[in-house]
Amino acid sequence: MKTASNCTTAEILAGAIALGEAGDEQRHAYREHLSTCRRCLATIGGEREIERVISVVAQARDQEQWQPDVRRALARVPARRHGWRWGAGLAAAGALTVAILATQRHAPVVVRSVAVPDAAAVAALGTQTMPQREHRAESLAFTSAQAARATITFQVRLDERGKPTRCTIVRHSGRASLDAALCDAVMRAH
Amino acid sequence: MRSGLETCAAMDRTAIAQRRTEELVIEHQTKLARYLRRMVGDAEVALDLTQDVFLSAYRTLQADPARELRAGWLYRAATNAAISFMRRRKILHVLPLDRDLDRSAWRVDEHGAQSVDLQAALGRLPVEQTAALLMTSYAGYSSSEAAQILGTTADAVRQRVCRAMKTLRHVMNEDSLS
Repeated sequence: MKTASNCTTAEILAGAIALGEAGDEQRHAYREHLSTCRRCLATIGGEREIERVISVVAQARDQEQWQPDVRRALARVPARRHGWRWGAGLAAAGALTVAILATQRHAPVVVRSVAVPDAAAVAALGTQTMPQREHRAESLAFTSAQAARATITFQVRLDERGKPTRCTIVRHSGRASLDAALCDAVMRAH
Repeated sequence: MRSGLETCAAMDRTAIAQRRTEELVIEHQTKLARYLRRMVGDAEVALDLTQDVFLSAYRTLQADPARELRAGWLYRAATNAAISFMRRRKILHVLPLDRDLDRSAWRVDEHGAQSVDLQAALGRLPVEQTAALLMTSYAGYSSSEAAQILGTTADAVRQRVCRAMKTLRHVMNEDSLS
């Protein structure tokens, strides 16, 4: 007799057959179910059909040619440089960093308040040193010598060595000289 | 003096964490990145997420250098990262669906695999089914191991694999008709 719960059991059995985890008894139970259930026969198919379908995944895996190298960037970038570079840039601007939120194009927030151990890890794993990846530092509040307070949102484009190639002010501080000083410092901070 | 010792201990922790993370990277980067590439359908995103997983491993090891981190931990982190990426992309509609752009590359990889577009089929699946199918048939875990990683039961994994296969079969049949 065909019931929803029998079909659920049949799905579990079919999964076990696909993964090579089904014994004779389970295979027999699956065959029994198929003999009474047209729907499962049509949507899942027999054991041979299950094996044909699942083999596509194994074939795709075996023929995979993509060789990613997470470590490649690591070899090119000294581990501590990244954190210090930001520090140097901000110091050059005569600014006091309150917070830096660096965001990647795909991952919303990767690094908060770049501290040395974290920066070392980021550089070590190449997270921020991939070619042409955009970084955005936002909520960068700083105090100038005149104690003026400003928030500037800017984007920095880095090349494959982590060198800034372009700085764009996304949200202005209201003082052109401050914006220019920030971008100038960021571009020289390498 | 005490703060000096603490600094030394922190440096040690950092060095140990870096070394152990590097070992994990060397051993697992290819399989993990390939798994993520299949999950999200895009090589660049997969590489980003792979790096995030190792960065997260590094932080975990830095906090607790004695902690055992095995492949299962990495796959769990990778799966969670992929799921949240997929959900975010679905909600935001900001990022392009790179599957279409990447299609020719997949075809090269799958030349001879009965000419079926596995990636197109995976794109139609709920993310939990994709994870179950890839974790078992692609990454090589048993249903019980995959269940532990995914936080579910072995039977649920088997059922998700079966449901994923139904869609895959449908795509295969569509392909053979066209």
